[in-house]
Amino acid sequence: MGVVMKKPVKPLQVNPIKLSAPMGATLAFLGIERCMPLMHGGQGCTSFSKVYFTRHFSEPIAVQTTAVTDVTAILDGGDYNIVEAIKNITTKVDPALIGLFTTGLTETKGDDVRGVASQVDFPLAYVNTPDYEGGLECGWGLAAKAVIEQLVAPTEAIDDDRVLLLPHVSLTSLEVEKIKDFIEAFGFDVLALPDISNSLDGHLGEKQSAISDGGITVEAIRSLAESSLVISVGTSMASAAEALTRKNPFVRHHHFSHLSGLEASDSFAALLLQESGRSEPPPVVERWRKRLQDAMLDSHFSLGQTDFLVCAEPDHLAGLCQSLQEAGGRVRVALSTVNSPQLNSVVADVVQVGDLEDAELLHDRYHLVVGNGHCESLAHRLHKGLLLRGYPNWEHVGHQLRSDVLYEGGCNLLFEAANVATDLREHNR
Amino acid sequence: MAKKPKIRELLDESSCAHNQTRKAACNVPKPGATTGGCAFEGAQISLFPYADAAHLVHGPMTCLGSSWETRATGTSYAGRDLTQVGFTTDVTINDVVFGGEGKVAEAIDYIMERYRPEAVFVYATCVTALIGDDIDAVCKQASERHGVPMIPVHAPGFVGSKNLGSRLGGEAVLTHLIGTAEPETSTPFDINLIGEYNVTGDMWQYSPLLEELGIRILSTLSGDGRVAAIRTAHRARLNVLVCAKSLVSLTRKMEERFGIPSISLSFYGKRDTSNGLRTIAAALGDADLVARTERLIAREEESLEQRLAPYREFFRGKKAVLNTGGNKTWSIAAALQDLGIEVVATAVKKATEDDRAKAREYLGEKGVLMMNPGAEQAKLIDETGADLLLAGGRSLYTAIKKGIAFADVNQEKKKSYGAYNGLLNLAEDLKNALENPVFKNVARRAPWES
Repeated sequence: MGVVMKKPVKPLQVNPIKLSAPMGATLAFLGIERCMPLMHGGQGCTSFSKVYFTRHFSEPIAVQTTAVTDVTAILDGGDYNIVEAIKNITTKVDPALIGLFTTGLTETKGDDVRGVASQVDFPLAYVNTPDYEGGLECGWGLAAKAVIEQLVAPTEAIDDDRVLLLPHVSLTSLEVEKIKDFIEAFGFDVLALPDISNSLDGHLGEKQSAISDGGITVEAIRSLAESSLVISVGTSMASAAEALTRKNPFVRHHHFSHLSGLEASDSFAALLLQESGRSEPPPVVERWRKRLQDAMLDSHFSLGQTDFLVCAEPDHLAGLCQSLQEAGGRVRVALSTVNSPQLNSVVADVVQVGDLEDAELLHDRYHLVVGNGHCESLAHRLHKGLLLRGYPNWEHVGHQLRSDVLYEGGCNLLFEAANVATDLREHNR
Repeated sequence: MAKKPKIRELLDESSCAHNQTRKAACNVPKPGATTGGCAFEGAQISLFPYADAAHLVHGPMTCLGSSWETRATGTSYAGRDLTQVGFTTDVTINDVVFGGEGKVAEAIDYIMERYRPEAVFVYATCVTALIGDDIDAVCKQASERHGVPMIPVHAPGFVGSKNLGSRLGGEAVLTHLIGTAEPETSTPFDINLIGEYNVTGDMWQYSPLLEELGIRILSTLSGDGRVAAIRTAHRARLNVLVCAKSLVSLTRKMEERFGIPSISLSFYGKRDTSNGLRTIAAALGDADLVARTERLIAREEESLEQRLAPYREFFRGKKAVLNTGGNKTWSIAAALQDLGIEVVATAVKKATEDDRAKAREYLGEKGVLMMNPGAEQAKLIDETGADLLLAGGRSLYTAIKKGIAFADVNQEKKKSYGAYNGLLNLAEDLKNALENPVFKNVARRAPWES
């Protein structure tokens, strides 16, 4: 374990990789079927986020704004803007749920969204996500927790076959699907909240809907407390899982920091074996484990001579670093968007909350950068290799259908990293 | 904090011909039914292209975190291109409670020490405007401390639309930069380009032509712009407003204050480019320049026609339906016509009256102006036998269902479609779209569908 620096020492961010909590909440609500995410803030908060995600996913993104102005910022307590927005949304489209969340603007003016929500006669979940606190991961986690607290019906009944997966924000559509498939292969019925596996996965639909297309249904959310197991993946999801256990004392909770690499995949498989009462895993799981072992050996020569900078949200960072270092990748710098207890578990020489200016100052420590699209200019300027991961990725297509998790995804990540590192050495020779 | 009278004044633009139909209420965004960007985004669009200035956004993370590196505004500046460097104070709850002015001052000092920009623009945002941080005072003191201009930009998102924000950006430049330095030399053919942001190098498509004619671009707001140049903008002979209605207030004020006349034009498509060059030459009022310009236009048009010939052959008889908004409703239509494509319909739902009139002019009596494009476009494709749909991503399925080619008009451009040479880029992209079998191929029925 190396040095962990959690407090920024600068009065500003230069080339930030941090994203805001309302943006995380937007994504979370897009993982609910026929939901309209409604951002309570200025029109720009929504417009920027919409354009950002539209470019990232190459898909139209459903999200609306309460369009707070300078006048309503002073004169309105949120009642007018929110109630009016819901009225205008529901005259045009027919969502199953409105996901209401705040921004820095409306938290600064001190709107009581809980109070306003109680006046609204429409299925709604609300959450406070000021963008001056936490980041993307945090906003997503808070939205998931709010949905559980406000929509899940309390019960004492348990369906033994049912499992609820709570994935962190940085897991791609395919990763959520692969984790669900993995759990299902052990004989469980599994739901995920939020579930972007079929909503932001990029599928050609008959109608490019103005509300979310895919995701967990509101009906399914209401009965989630009947799950026998809730599995949270990522520190940002732990409190959402605890909220579910308060809905039903018989729900059991298992937490995983991440599901990347051999060790984490093994613990996950061990849990599912134990919970399913099976003595052997499904054959496909066994096959992929052997492939991952081989992938680690095949890639170790390249990875073992490569120094990495990894930039990501804390939960994503923990998984990426673990996976790379299991095959000998030397993670010199792990750069996190925000602070999180997760950072204590990140395997790297230096773990730091920071921005890409910090990364640039440490340029002599790494050859290969794993990070988002903003890392491109840094990698280009400093002649580093680049593996694009995380939000945003505006240049490449197909990233929502790439998986780095569990045995199978681990192979993909290690092969890709090893090949990029090899190409880089060839190129620099 | 942006002062109300100034904003009201900017909304009430006397030199805008359509102003009498605009009431203040029209500018208020409708909750739950709003798509456009905010005033901060408008200011960012109009000022960020100054690559030798730092752009410090005083606000929480959404404002800059979601928007830096989103605009490909080219610059020839030899130093570090600061248009692609994101600076933000990333205010925290502590700043909201205790005020963020100290942080701004420290951030400016930090930037000056490490990046040595020619100026720092400091942008207020909703949160920092609401808590009342006095960025004017911070900028004034920092400017004295560092000896370079520090420009407070009062365009917090909630005061209005992108358009208003661009005006507020222009206001900041007028108040703090224009007229604060003298040019080394002056020529009778000095112009300012206002509202040209050089996105994907659009400006570079025609700036060599201006240079060849002996017209000097004294300064720009703000494509490939320099702080030192815009400070001398008051010495130009002409303001050329490029495709930007938002900065008409700025050019009017510059006319009142410095006696600089202004013209408004666009460099999109062959006809507009030629007309644009003509208009500039005529406004500069030199008979020889006018003659030179005509010769250059003739040469460029002929050269373009030669290079377009193979495309024209390809586009012969091709019909397009255009579903977009704003000035694109007619400017893209005009460019398509320049390529020999017949534009059978264009959407005017999200267009001003001025844009609608222009669309009618370009499309002629036969052309359809769609008021409800979502419902109309599929029918029109059938009726007219259109070959190409140019629209936003939501319309993709319509094209696939009809088995015709699709081009996303909102997609971030990678190359310029501006002026004469840009038309060739557009021709190439549209030819590729029309030749691509993908739209028919993905429309295949699945074996399990009846």
